Amino acid sequence: MSSHSKRRILVVDDEITVCKSIRQAILTEEYEVEMALSGEEALKKDQEKPYDLIITDLMMPGISGLDLLKNLRETRPEVNVIMVTGYPTIKTAVESVKMGAFDYLPKPFTPADLRGLVTRAFKKAVEEDRGKGAAAGSQIPVGYYYMLGHTWLKVEENSRATVGVLPDFIKTVGIITQLELPKVNEVVTQGNGCGKISDADHFVHRIWSPASGLVIEVNARLAADSSLLRRDPFQNGFLFRIQTSNLEEDLKGLLQAK
Amino acid sequence: MKRYPPPMNLHRSAQKFLDLPLRMKFVLSFLVVILFGGLLSLFFGIRLEHRTIIGLAQAKVRHDLASAWMVYNEKLNDIRDIVLLNAGRDSIQAALLAGDRETLFRSLVRVRRDFNLDILTITDRFGKVVQRTNGSAIFGDDQSADPLVSRALRRETATATEVVPRSELLKESPEFAERAYLRFIPTPMAAPRPEDHEENGMMLKGAAPVLDEQGKVLGVLYGGIILNQNYEIVDRVKEIVFKGEKYKGKEIGTVTIFQNDLRISTNVTDAEGNRAIGTRVSQEVHDAVLLRGVPWVDRAFVVNHWYITAYEPIKNITGEIIGILYVGMLEKPYIDLRNSVMLTFTGIAALCTLILLIILFFITSGITNPLRRMVLATNRIAQGDLNHQVRIGFRDEIGQLAHSFNQMTENLKLANENLIQWGKTLEKRVEERTKELRGMQDYLLQSEKLRSLGKMAAGVAHEINNPLTSILINTHLMLEKLEKRHEFYENLSLIADETSRCTQIVKGLLEFARQNPPQKTHTNINELIDRTTQLLENQASFQNVRIVKELDPNLPAIKLDRNKIQQVFWNLLLNACEAMPKGGQITISDSLSADKKSIEVRFTDSGVGISKENVNKLFDPFFTTKSSGTGLGLAVSYGIMQQHDGKIEVKSELGRGTVFTLTFPVEDHQPESAQKGGINE
Repeated sequence: MSSHSKRRILVVDDEITVCKSIRQAILTEEYEVEMALSGEEALKKDQEKPYDLIITDLMMPGISGLDLLKNLRETRPEVNVIMVTGYPTIKTAVESVKMGAFDYLPKPFTPADLRGLVTRAFKKAVEEDRGKGAAAGSQIPVGYYYMLGHTWLKVEENSRATVGVLPDFIKTVGIITQLELPKVNEVVTQGNGCGKISDADHFVHRIWSPASGLVIEVNARLAADSSLLRRDPFQNGFLFRIQTSNLEEDLKGLLQAK
Repeated sequence: MKRYPPPMNLHRSAQKFLDLPLRMKFVLSFLVVILFGGLLSLFFGIRLEHRTIIGLAQAKVRHDLASAWMVYNEKLNDIRDIVLLNAGRDSIQAALLAGDRETLFRSLVRVRRDFNLDILTITDRFGKVVQRTNGSAIFGDDQSADPLVSRALRRETATATEVVPRSELLKESPEFAERAYLRFIPTPMAAPRPEDHEENGMMLKGAAPVLDEQGKVLGVLYGGIILNQNYEIVDRVKEIVFKGEKYKGKEIGTVTIFQNDLRISTNVTDAEGNRAIGTRVSQEVHDAVLLRGVPWVDRAFVVNHWYITAYEPIKNITGEIIGILYVGMLEKPYIDLRNSVMLTFTGIAALCTLILLIILFFITSGITNPLRRMVLATNRIAQGDLNHQVRIGFRDEIGQLAHSFNQMTENLKLANENLIQWGKTLEKRVEERTKELRGMQDYLLQSEKLRSLGKMAAGVAHEINNPLTSILINTHLMLEKLEKRHEFYENLSLIADETSRCTQIVKGLLEFARQNPPQKTHTNINELIDRTTQLLENQASFQNVRIVKELDPNLPAIKLDRNKIQQVFWNLLLNACEAMPKGGQITISDSLSADKKSIEVRFTDSGVGISKENVNKLFDPFFTTKSSGTGLGLAVSYGIMQQHDGKIEVKSELGRGTVFTLTFPVEDHQPESAQKGGINE
């Protein structure tokens, strides 16, 4: 893919206003943004001229966002898909990540939220282009559960678990300028934000919690040295530990490293 | 108008008897027994009595007949003596021997008159009449054929009753023939006879031989009395035997001499009071006495009255039945006696029955009175007076019944009291339960309201999400393009902020609508309260508010979703704070319920309070009194408490303040895991 050619983005939503708004939010000189009002139209357009990124609403009549994702994962696994979702469909959103969606974004959102996500998506694409063979450190340890491209979960004794961020995520973020983590005794829910990472471009990236539970320990060392996230993502660079509350159910929404 | 009894009459009368009071039944039963027994004994008594009395009467009449015979035979003996003595007189012998009829006549006429004989005649040794004494000139006729005379001719003295033919009577005197002549008076039940009159006579006759010194028969002296219409014997018998007794103007005793079946001498009178000669004996008696020659003793209708009678045949010298001697006693005195005895007997029986009934009355009183008392008692008990006791002093079946009855009443009373007690507690329980149910109903109603509202909210929120997304994005895009000094910048910022707030509202709505399952962990509720209040202390709105905590340090840990419960606490504290714009005090207290099954947490503020109508709507979504609230805080809190199987209740008084009470159920003992899950790690 030429660096000079504009990146092509397709916005899919059954509401034209939302489509237009999203288009407006991400429209820059770098991107060529087109719209589709249904899953069918999206597939048709993608077949005519493939896109680099597809931002699709999850709930649509006809071919839903999830159907669209499935179709794309089968025919064009290299395309990144961002799911836009209403609040009640977080579970589906987590499901979509498991199925290979790059990320999801709950409605309503600000242009900044979306831009951060889009930036991350393209960074990931660049990373993939750059080094096909990923670094040894980025390999997820066996037995860890993870939300593809986001966070991992290491299940421990007594329904406790450690939560960390996957190297893939950090890579897409770039330079970390600020890390915001939950406090002890705070409750985190699977698929909802459990922390935020700000990058050099002032984009704020939300970290989705891989499981629900009560925070029982926060990695204090990260406050001093956020680079641990990058250097030792699966051990000392963990985010926090939780007492899980709905582990069995939560694990169904996650992948496990083998 | 005659009404025919229905066929079930018997049944009905039996029913009627069964319906009678007990005492009446007793009396009637006794009466039936007494009457039956009484009548039976009366019947047999009367019969027995009758037989006895009549038997006595018959014995007497038999005896009287014997007496009559005595008189009769005495008369015969008199005649015998007269003829015997006079036949032996020398003067008579001499006169007969000499054929001196003049002397014979003079001597014999005197004798006949002196001894009141009808006939006194003397014959020669051949039986030819020498001299009669009734002035009859006839003599020389042969009397040797006469059985008595012939015996006398054979030197025997004989007496007997003999029938004397009319011719012989005429020889003596026409007067005798006239006395003997009797026309039959028609008599019912008499045996039929071809003749209609009797002309022969019947006489008591005696004959004795007149002997010379050598004992040779010189002749026969015979004589006697003619019984026909001669009442001497019968009246004598009556006088001796019955002593002239009368009964109601009637002669009690009657005596009759029959010639064959004809009354020739009697003191039985007819309707006019005349002697009933000329009437005849009944066929029955005729057959028995005259034909069969047996005595006849029985009651008989004689002329015009019932008599107890005895008949015996009168025989002549040869043993031939020629008449009847009869004695009869008027039956009426005996019947009257019998009747009076019967009456007396019946009277005594009736009196006895009466006395028995009176006794029965008292005896049954002894039975029925206690029963009546029992009935009264049951009535009173039926009317609800359970204090009533039957007092019966004796220990028979009824006494025992009364005792059992009293015991039963006592038990009933106890049971009733228990029932009443139970009823009272039941009432209380029902009240409690009703209250509970009403609470539950309210709760369910509220829940249902919340659920349906939640659904709607979710729908609305979802639909509003898309426009909000557009507004948010576009506002931000515009802001990005405007200088901060631009006149619309502030307006747009405001729009952006408010849209964000809308986002929050929508999020809240969805949270409320979604009611995702709570993430429960064991929690020390006091620490959760502490943590929440710590967060609040930095808030500007809590500057004038003092928070007082009265927490029970010994509360068990309970399982709850800390985040959500903290949200509830937060909501309540914020509400309290807003109810006290000029500052005040919030008291948070908690405690374990008496039954240790729940923990109560109370938030008491000293704020303005909530009006009654508002209290009811307090937990409704979108209900708010604040200008800047979403009206979801308490509704969400309600939902959260519901998810925890807990309750949220409010009590408020205008001007005084409000108390919110949260109730959490305590799970069965899991203190260890609570420690492990504790928040202080």
